Amino acid sequence: MSDADREYDYGELGLVAGLEIHQQLDTATKLFCACPTERREPEESTRRFTRFLHPTKSELGELDEAAVEESRVDREFEYLAFDSTCLVEEDDEPPSRVDAEAMAVALQIGAMLDLEPMDQVHVMRKIVVDGSNTSGFQRTMLVGQDGEIDTSEGAVGIEDLMLEEESAGRVEETGDGVRYSLDRLGIPLVEIGTKPDIRSPEQAREAAETIGMFLRSTGKVKRGLGTIRQDVNVSIAEGARVEIKGVQALDQIDAIVENEVARQVALVEIRDELQSRDAEVGEVQDATEVFEDTESGVLKSAVDGGKVAAVPLYAFDGLVGRELQPDRRLGTELSDHAKRHGAGGIFHTDELPAYGVTDEEVAALKEFVGAGEDDAVAIVAADSETADLAIDAVAERARVAIEAVPEETRGANDDDAGTTRYLRPLPGAARMYPETDVPPVEPDPSEIETPELLTEKVDRYQSEHGLDAGLAEQVAYGRRMPLFEEAVDAGVDATFAAGVLESTLTELRRDDVPVERLTDDHLLGVLLLVEEGDLAKEGVNDVFATLAESPELTPEEAVEEAGLSGVDEDEVREAVAEVVDRNSEQVEEQGMGAFSALMGEAMGALRGKADGEVVSEALRAEIGKRT
Amino acid sequence: MNPGDRVRVERAGVTNEGVLMPSSTPEHLVLKLEGGYNVGIDRDDADVEVLESDVYEVGEADDGSGEDDDGDESASAVEFDDDLPTVALISTGGTIASTVDYRTGAVTAQFDAEDVLRAVPDLAGRANYRGRVVANILSENMEPSIWQELAEAVHEEIENGADGVVVMHGTDTMQYSASALAFMLDTPVPVVFTGSQRSADRPSSDNVMNAVCAVEAAKADCAEVLVCMHGSESDDACALHRGTRVRKNHTSRRDAFETVGARPLGEVDYESETVSFRREYRERGEADLAVAPALAGDVELVKFTPGMDPAAWEYLDGKDGVVVEGTGLGHVHTDLVPRIGELVDDGTTVAMTSQCLEGRVCDRVYDTGRDLLDAGVVEAGDTLPGTAKVKLMWALANLDDPAEAMGRSLAGELQEQSRPWT
Repeated sequence: MSDADREYDYGELGLVAGLEIHQQLDTATKLFCACPTERREPEESTRRFTRFLHPTKSELGELDEAAVEESRVDREFEYLAFDSTCLVEEDDEPPSRVDAEAMAVALQIGAMLDLEPMDQVHVMRKIVVDGSNTSGFQRTMLVGQDGEIDTSEGAVGIEDLMLEEESAGRVEETGDGVRYSLDRLGIPLVEIGTKPDIRSPEQAREAAETIGMFLRSTGKVKRGLGTIRQDVNVSIAEGARVEIKGVQALDQIDAIVENEVARQVALVEIRDELQSRDAEVGEVQDATEVFEDTESGVLKSAVDGGKVAAVPLYAFDGLVGRELQPDRRLGTELSDHAKRHGAGGIFHTDELPAYGVTDEEVAALKEFVGAGEDDAVAIVAADSETADLAIDAVAERARVAIEAVPEETRGANDDDAGTTRYLRPLPGAARMYPETDVPPVEPDPSEIETPELLTEKVDRYQSEHGLDAGLAEQVAYGRRMPLFEEAVDAGVDATFAAGVLESTLTELRRDDVPVERLTDDHLLGVLLLVEEGDLAKEGVNDVFATLAESPELTPEEAVEEAGLSGVDEDEVREAVAEVVDRNSEQVEEQGMGAFSALMGEAMGALRGKADGEVVSEALRAEIGKRT
Repeated sequence: MNPGDRVRVERAGVTNEGVLMPSSTPEHLVLKLEGGYNVGIDRDDADVEVLESDVYEVGEADDGSGEDDDGDESASAVEFDDDLPTVALISTGGTIASTVDYRTGAVTAQFDAEDVLRAVPDLAGRANYRGRVVANILSENMEPSIWQELAEAVHEEIENGADGVVVMHGTDTMQYSASALAFMLDTPVPVVFTGSQRSADRPSSDNVMNAVCAVEAAKADCAEVLVCMHGSESDDACALHRGTRVRKNHTSRRDAFETVGARPLGEVDYESETVSFRREYRERGEADLAVAPALAGDVELVKFTPGMDPAAWEYLDGKDGVVVEGTGLGHVHTDLVPRIGELVDDGTTVAMTSQCLEGRVCDRVYDTGRDLLDAGVVEAGDTLPGTAKVKLMWALANLDDPAEAMGRSLAGELQEQSRPWT
């Protein structure tokens, strides 16, 4: 049974949702040092070092339980440093003051979200001991509070705006711990939290889109995969607060909310059903002997080197296989809990026989653990220690299913359906203490200038520059918007600039030209050469192709290299005259009627070195002379 | 309304509840919100209502009286294990045991040695510990009188059976204190100085590894005064430096301490906990315990630089001793040579060191040097200028011929051979 097509009355269900949006800023330097905010490849690393982290007390004398838990495992963290890394990032030098550009952008975003800026912004240390910060904490500051945005379904309050440092990127697990790359550490990041005012999946998406539009209107946010992360908090009246981490795509937010509502509704139904059946979770047992002669590969290796742990789920029959989200069942939830404790997953009787487990083995298993017709059994096969931990977690999660929908942190899955998986329990309140190395900042609200919104840009590009609505939107929301505006300010024709930045580059990419190598200076330089008449519009593609092949060239050098150095009007006239000479008969017969045919030939003769309009004018004049 | 109260603050239509924190500026209230963030709110524009008094103890920073521990002695009373050696932990304050000072917003020292045990649980099971506080100061406030107290305290701990001593010290002046103890003490057990460059209130602090390695070194065989600090920016090994040859050579790095003129004397591997040495050292039990804490107070270290006001040398009149940090092989401006001659004639011992730090002085090479020798300056070999100052203070108070002693090694401060690769 699938609920995929079920319609929900969100008001009746009591849907409450909120968003937390994390966006990297595209500033010149990092938040607490003068290093660039560019990403690097791990292979470019020039040095590496290793560290351990130890939990510390907050200034109120409290230890962070989560930090203590995390640090029980003695993990060694290895950091990759680059020629662009400094001692601040290595936690070997006190941080500089808060980057002024990042603070200005954060305040700008705050103003657009109608937030009250704080009189005095204090930098805090949020304890994080998973190694993703060399210091063992993330520096973060509350910049503004109590704002609001509009959506078509009503206002959504903005709880707060934080400016913080991005963590180091995880490269891979190592034998003893984790390897991190320091290029990402310290990139400024804003975190925007809405109030729990969102009442439908569509409103969640609209709110996220609106906030995203505000962010991009600054022209100072990073673009591309991983530069924006959305967390969604969802609950329904009978369900529980669930935090969903890491939604990468805006257009998935409604699906994520819908699916979470569906999951909670299904869990409530399962709970009611289990209660009416008087369901119960039995004792965990060692069922290894049942599978001594099994043909199932997974079970066999556990029998040989570990154990098969089982837990009878009395009166669960049929419900473990009940779908909660597309292709995700209650059994999947149990499996997630087993995975968190190191197991590969679980098998349960609602899905067996399968995976090499036979009917006879299922029957033997049920009998062994004392399960009957109406009961289910879940098993975990792993080394003994893991199997014990994992089956306990499975049993605990099954017990909770009889009682309620659990509060938890979930992660967005990498699929198009917008499903999620269990990650961990909800975190407690973060432990924070003051960052004593950085003095507080007192923002001056009179210095905040709010930028033109992207929606306003779309209108202006149409009214002022005559772009059509589609192209105006494409440019305004595109990543080259700041470059477009710079070019237009420098006198480049807007339609031409928009066409080059949006269409030409796309065409070239389709033709396998490595356009990602073109810098903003390349693009602007070429546009200006055309504007100044030093390059024909028709030569733009060739120059870009040349620059993409040899990015070390200047646009002028590339023009030379592509053999497109401009021709003056005399040369154009000369070339046109030759073409007309060659086709004198046609000209005599057709007069201006020969224009189109000869235009192509004239352009070919000039091989893109001359502007089409200049050629056309010369050709028109030449034909005029002869007729 | 006091720090620690739970309050509700209204300002410009926004209401916040939280715990009032001490503020470092009079114009702002600092509030700790539910989520943990501190924020500053303009005092004049804020409406404050106290909801509950004294929710948290966040009073003004402690004055070091040690009363903040409400007599919780049992927490640090570690069980005695006959099989383990006894290590005395002596605290003088400093970054290894520091916490936030709300008056300045900076970090200050306010823990005693037992807090260190609590702060560094990794020390448990390595030794039986005896904690002791000799001072609670920032190391830039170190005084020679505290060196003397420290030497007496170490002497007493060893006399009472300590198998090794660890001195927790701020890093700024650690090399001076280590030198002082090296001259004052004949020790049959290791005396190991350690501290931290990155404050103990951060999970990444170097205090844990430094303290653990210092305890391992205190249990080892080298009965000298050592400095044990990070050997690199990684948490993999601590370097063991001879106290008289070590120098803080970086303001902030974990591996700021370096042995000048040679590689460190030894190493403590953090993972394997093995202690190894690469040169000769004085072994455990070789020396009979003795302490000679007397110091001459009237000794100055003077750095010569071009353009220096000759008047700066006038205040040296009547000093017991002067250590000159000269240029190159050990020079000052030729015009100053007669002035130095006068000092020597007046009975001041004048010793020459070099601001090159690496290498030994040699005043026989150039005329200025020969003139300085003629004027009565004694050469301190490759002794570090700071160490030479401490040495001269000690030598003037304890030896018959301090000038002669400046030219030979008393505690490893002067290397007979220049072998920087060893």
